Amino acid sequence: MRRFEPDSTRDETLFRPIEQTGARFYLTVSVLVAIILFALVMYTRQVVLGLRVTGMMQPVTWGFYIVNFVFFIGISHAGTLISAILRLTQAEWRRPITRMAEVITAIVLAIGALHPILDLGRPDRVMNVFLFGRLQSPLLWDVTSISAYFAASTVYLFLPLIPDIALIRERGKKHRWLYTFMSWGWQGTPEQWKVLTRAINIMMIVVVPIAVSVHTVISYIFAMTLQSGWHSTIFGPYFVVGAIFSGIAALFVAMIAFRSAFRLQAYLKLVHFQQLAKLLLAMSILWTYFTFGEYLTGYYGGEPEEMKTLLYKVAGRYAPLFWTMVVCNFVVPVVLLSSRRLRTIPGILVSSITVLIGMWLERLIIVVPSLENPRMPFPGRIYIPSLTEISLFTGALALFALGFVLFSKFFPIVSVWEVQEGRALGKEETVERVESYLPDDEVSHAGA
Amino acid sequence: MRAPDPHAPSWHPRGIRVLQILSIVLMWAFLGGVVAWMVNVVQLSLSLGDALTVSVGISLVVIPVYTLVAGVLTYVFFGLQRGRRDPES
Amino acid sequence: MARWGMVIDLDRCTGCGACVAACKVENNVQVVSPAEGERGRRMHWLRLLVEARGEYPHVEVRIAPNLCMMCENPPCTKVCPVHATYRGEDGLVGQIYPRCIGCRYCMAACPYSVKAFNWGSPEWPEALLSTLNPDVSMRPKGVVEKCTFCYHRLQLGREKARAEGRPLRESDYQPACVHSCPADAMTFGDLDDALSPAAQLSRSTRATRALEHLGTEPRVFYLEKRDAPL
Repeated sequence: MRRFEPDSTRDETLFRPIEQTGARFYLTVSVLVAIILFALVMYTRQVVLGLRVTGMMQPVTWGFYIVNFVFFIGISHAGTLISAILRLTQAEWRRPITRMAEVITAIVLAIGALHPILDLGRPDRVMNVFLFGRLQSPLLWDVTSISAYFAASTVYLFLPLIPDIALIRERGKKHRWLYTFMSWGWQGTPEQWKVLTRAINIMMIVVVPIAVSVHTVISYIFAMTLQSGWHSTIFGPYFVVGAIFSGIAALFVAMIAFRSAFRLQAYLKLVHFQQLAKLLLAMSILWTYFTFGEYLTGYYGGEPEEMKTLLYKVAGRYAPLFWTMVVCNFVVPVVLLSSRRLRTIPGILVSSITVLIGMWLERLIIVVPSLENPRMPFPGRIYIPSLTEISLFTGALALFALGFVLFSKFFPIVSVWEVQEGRALGKEETVERVESYLPDDEVSHAGA
Repeated sequence: MRAPDPHAPSWHPRGIRVLQILSIVLMWAFLGGVVAWMVNVVQLSLSLGDALTVSVGISLVVIPVYTLVAGVLTYVFFGLQRGRRDPES
Repeated sequence: MARWGMVIDLDRCTGCGACVAACKVENNVQVVSPAEGERGRRMHWLRLLVEARGEYPHVEVRIAPNLCMMCENPPCTKVCPVHATYRGEDGLVGQIYPRCIGCRYCMAACPYSVKAFNWGSPEWPEALLSTLNPDVSMRPKGVVEKCTFCYHRLQLGREKARAEGRPLRESDYQPACVHSCPADAMTFGDLDDALSPAAQLSRSTRATRALEHLGTEPRVFYLEKRDAPL
């Protein structure tokens, strides 16, 4: 039986942002809402006038919307996947991080899934996907996989939230009905703990393959076509690695932002950053390995149409973007994160931001150059996004920030009960676990 | 700061109860929607004569995944109700 | 059932552009303003592909009409999420405009870049309104369209043949581009009919198909120039 009961009177720092609302909150929300409203106006204009208000054209028929779709869905992997893996491996340092990771997933996934709809020429017919859908199209694989991931990750966000919701309900300072409703009658009895722990354990295992399937299937949108630069077998794992990579970077940015905004220095300590930074470094190297493999095989084969696209990226018009991407995704994180002296919070922030830029560029470099180099000669044009596309991009970023800010207004951004559980039981459990790793000595052998 | 009484009965008007049950029903309605969608997709692929195996294969994966998610949520909901210290009066 | 296909003799093609104009008028293809055209929104179901081949001094300019290849194994129909582009019973690749959601996945998947998208609502100058073809449906903004091998002409030909109580003849069904070619460079017919000129030409030693290595099995054949350097 569990000997631990969360205490609603401890960890005041984590409850304060929920119960006290300052001017800064209203300011942030109104700025974000203004950006989103502007994007909404631009989108309405696009619906009325058609996609001619974008920078897309023949033959570049996919642009920012698809790039951002891949990028945002990639970031959503931060969350659930990382939190699930850390929980599975019982990494004790996960406790203050998992909640934020799970929130990123739920919000960004919803925003990412919106992007293909922004891209549609006929958004009024989006229901055709359900009425006349054909599972032969990779686009339908996306719809099924993303919606499954959204359902699973929302449940996975909600379940560990229940004890915290009950804590806020007990404090009784705000919207009591809401927290009573959402806590589902949680009282922290041993039986309830057993049910919840079992459910969380099931979900953290279920969520991993679904998350992997999501970005694999997104890569298939490209890999299933015959176009040069897209038709590649490693795209599945390549996209998944890139997704986790950019996801960790986004998680870092969120952690650092909330750490300073909510004064969480006591909870999110340097050691948490440094542990997670090792994962970022590993993903950076893995990503570089995949990129190397992808480009070398294309180059060595030397198939003329493949070569045209490849050289266009590496040495042609996209070369500045390509090499910026390499610097952002490889050079900066490896230099900053492999040295203990530079692996500080500012160093991690800088490398996270460059990784986010680099991974966004990577998505751009995958989508656009292949379209700019069709197999049949086509009067060459370069894709330049219009104001509409740029404002919808900033609108999506603002929506992400707004979602995060609003979530933090209602729920603790650091899991209170998990931190308290770590305090109460973590140490003991870890000692027990380490002891179980040790070789059985003679005495216990004789005893057994 | 006033410490709340941990033994105070939690506030449970009938309305909240209904809302809670509704949230679970919603999840199953969602699952129902997914199943209907998959059935529609398989029917379409039958009538169009394209990619029947893929459609059946994918729906065989999708439906259990959603059922599992809805199942876990329902298990938690009823588990929490059963595990209450003060069963609903 | 007839396997409709086309053979284009590049030795005869002069690059005059009659087929381009005929196609545009026949199929009510949207005319965009010059400014929009400059931005890459020009719409064609058939365009002239101009390509310089070879290295100096053996340079050859190759001009070839490029239209929907009506692939036997089309990459575009596979990826359509809503069955808005499909391969019909007669093997011709069609578009269902009221079904299309405008995701443009088929355009991204088409290796021949022959699909066109309605970036804006079609606007017709007064002078062109009277030339619109009542046999071809108009497309709204936001949907993908492409060459249909003038499918409406096949339907008209079938009706005519039925009314006259005889089987459909090749002369009943000729697409507008083939009809308009002053150099007789385009031949259209049933590729399975051994007596059809199109079928015979498609078996010529000069016959090639675009991007044959992709395995799309196009139904449009090109007869390479006799003195081509390649």
